[in-house]
Amino acid sequence: MQQISLDQTIPSIFIKDKRGLTSEIWLNDLSFFRGKTYLIEAASGMGKSSLCSFIYGIRSDYGGSITFDNKDIRDIDKSHWNNIRRNSLSLLFQGLSLFDELTGMENVMLKNRLTDHKTKEQIEEMFSLLCISDKLNQRAGLMSFGQRQRVALIRALCQPFDFLLLDEPVSHLDNENIKVFSRLIEDEVRDQNAGLIVTSIGKHPEITYDKTLRL
Amino acid sequence: MKILWKILRSNVSITQFSGFFIANLIGLTIVLAGLRFKEDLTPIFNQGDSFLKDDYMVVSKRVTALNTLAISNSGFSTAELEDLEQQPFVNQVGKFEAARYRVSGGLKMDGTDLYFQTYMFFESVPDNFIDIPLDDWNYDSQTNEIPIIIPRAYLNLYNFGFAESRSMPKLSEGMIKLLRLDIYISGNGKKKEYKGKIVGFSNRLNTILVPQSFMTQANTIYGSNKTEEPVRLILEVNNASDERITRYLETKKYETDGEKTNDGKLSYFMRIVINIVLAVGILICILSFFILVLSIYLLLQKNAEKLRTLRLIGYSDLNVCTFYILVAISLNLIASILSISFVVWLRQIYLPVFTEIMPKTDFPGVYMTIVYALMMFLVVSIIDISIIYRKISKLI
Repeated sequence: MQQISLDQTIPSIFIKDKRGLTSEIWLNDLSFFRGKTYLIEAASGMGKSSLCSFIYGIRSDYGGSITFDNKDIRDIDKSHWNNIRRNSLSLLFQGLSLFDELTGMENVMLKNRLTDHKTKEQIEEMFSLLCISDKLNQRAGLMSFGQRQRVALIRALCQPFDFLLLDEPVSHLDNENIKVFSRLIEDEVRDQNAGLIVTSIGKHPEITYDKTLRL
Repeated sequence: MKILWKILRSNVSITQFSGFFIANLIGLTIVLAGLRFKEDLTPIFNQGDSFLKDDYMVVSKRVTALNTLAISNSGFSTAELEDLEQQPFVNQVGKFEAARYRVSGGLKMDGTDLYFQTYMFFESVPDNFIDIPLDDWNYDSQTNEIPIIIPRAYLNLYNFGFAESRSMPKLSEGMIKLLRLDIYISGNGKKKEYKGKIVGFSNRLNTILVPQSFMTQANTIYGSNKTEEPVRLILEVNNASDERITRYLETKKYETDGEKTNDGKLSYFMRIVINIVLAVGILICILSFFILVLSIYLLLQKNAEKLRTLRLIGYSDLNVCTFYILVAISLNLIASILSISFVVWLRQIYLPVFTEIMPKTDFPGVYMTIVYALMMFLVVSIIDISIIYRKISKLI
C-alpha cells in the first residue's frame, strides 16, 4: 500500500451542519504517502478517532470516500481486511482494546503469533525500554492506563505495516517515557519504510513530522 | 493457540454444556439402541420354516360334533379336491397322508439312566412342498434313518417347560439335529426299529413330517389297506394375502392353520413400539442440539466484544470459530463413543436371551451401530459447524 487518499471525506454527523467547519482534512482532497510522517492536531470532538476508525475499516458512517492506492475501501471484503490488518495497516486504538484477562506478554503474543514479526526477545526488550518489564506477566486489567498504553504500542509494532496509525498514543505518559516511545516508533517506521499518522490533542510523540494538519 | 483459547473460553458455562452433553448422550443412546434392537429382532420375526416354500397354507374342515359322532365326514372328497385345484389362486394341492400304523419314539439321555418314550404319529406331504435338498429328505434303507420335521413348539415345550422345571439341560436346534431317536413301528403283525433324525423345525405345521416315499412304503407294509380321504390339504398359492382365498374358505367352511398372522401381529406391534422409541430418541437428540445451539449463542453473545477486538487485531472468523467448533465436535464425539459402548453393553445383556430363543440365528455385528453413530455424528457436526460459523461471521 503506497497511499491513503481522502476525497471529500466527512463524518455523517457533520454533514448536516457544515458551517464553521474549517478543517484541513474533512471535505478536502488529500493523500497520505508511505514513508512520510503526519501529525493531525485537533480539539476534542473533531473526529480524530472517527478518522482512524474510518481508515481502519471499523466504521463507515462518513460521506465522500477513502481509498487505498485508488481502491475504495468500502469495496474491500472481510478476508481482505484481515490481510490488511495483519500486513499493511497497524492501529494503536485510543481505547487500547487490550484483553484484561491476559498478561502484558500474552496480549502482545496474541498479535505476534499471527504475524510472527518479532522474536520473544525483541518483545521483552521493548517492554524493558518502555520500563514495563515488571508487567510482562501481570494481567492487563491490573495495569494503569499509561502502562496499558505502552503494552498496546508494543502490540501495534508487532506486525509488518505500510502505515502506522496512532490515536492519541502518549496521552498518559510522562516526558521521559514519551522520548523512549518516540524513538521506538521512529526506528520501526524507518525500518519498515512506512507512513505514520499520529493524532493528538496536546501531547504527541517527539518526531520530526513531514506535515502537520489541523482537523 | 493457548492464549486465544484463554480468551474464548471465558464465559463458558459448564452447566449448559453438561446439559447438552447428557441430553445428547441419552438421545443418541436411545436411537442407537433402538436401531440395534430392531436389527437384532428382524431375523427372529422374518424367520420362516426353512424347509417350506413361502406361499403355502394348510386347509382342513372344521371339526364339529357331527364329525365326532362319525355322521359327517371330516375328510376331503375327490370332488372337493378337484374343485379346490381349479381355483385360480391355487398353484398346486398336496394331500397329507397319515400313518396307518403305530409309531413310538424313544430317546436316551446321555450320561443318565433317563429314557423317554412316547407314542407318536407321522404324516407326510408331497416332497415338492418341502424345500430341503432331496438327499436329506430321503429314507435310507441302509442305515434305517428316517428324516423327520417336528414342530418348533415341541422343542420350546421341552426347553421352556420341561427342562426348566426339572433343571435339565436345554437343547438347541443344532444339538437336537445331532440326536438320533429310536423309532418303533408296528402294525399288521410286523414290527421294526428305525432311527429318527430331525432335519428341520416348523413354526407353522402342527405335525410330525416324514418323507412321502417312506410313508407310502410303511403304510403298505404295516398299515391297513383301506385308503382314507385326506383330512388336511396343503396348498401352494400365488399370494397368501389374496382375499379370494379367504372368501372361498369362508363359503366352504374350511379352516386354515399354521398361519403367519400371529407372528405378523406381534412383529407389527413390536415395530411400532421400536419406532416410537426411535422417535423419542431422535426428539431428545434434536432438543439436546437446541441446548447446544442456545448455549453457544449465549456464549458468543457474552464474548461479542472480545470477538470484535480479535477481529480488529487481524483474527479471521475461522481462527475464532475453531475453538467453539472443536468444543462442540468433541462433545459430540465423546457422546457418540459413550453411547456406542452403552449399546454394546446393553446388547450383551439381551443377546443371550435372544440366542436362547433362536439358537441358529446369525445376529448382525455391532459395526452397523458404529456406522449409524458415525452418520449421526457427521450430520450433527456439520450443522454445528455451519451454525457457529454463521453466528460468528454475523457477530464480528
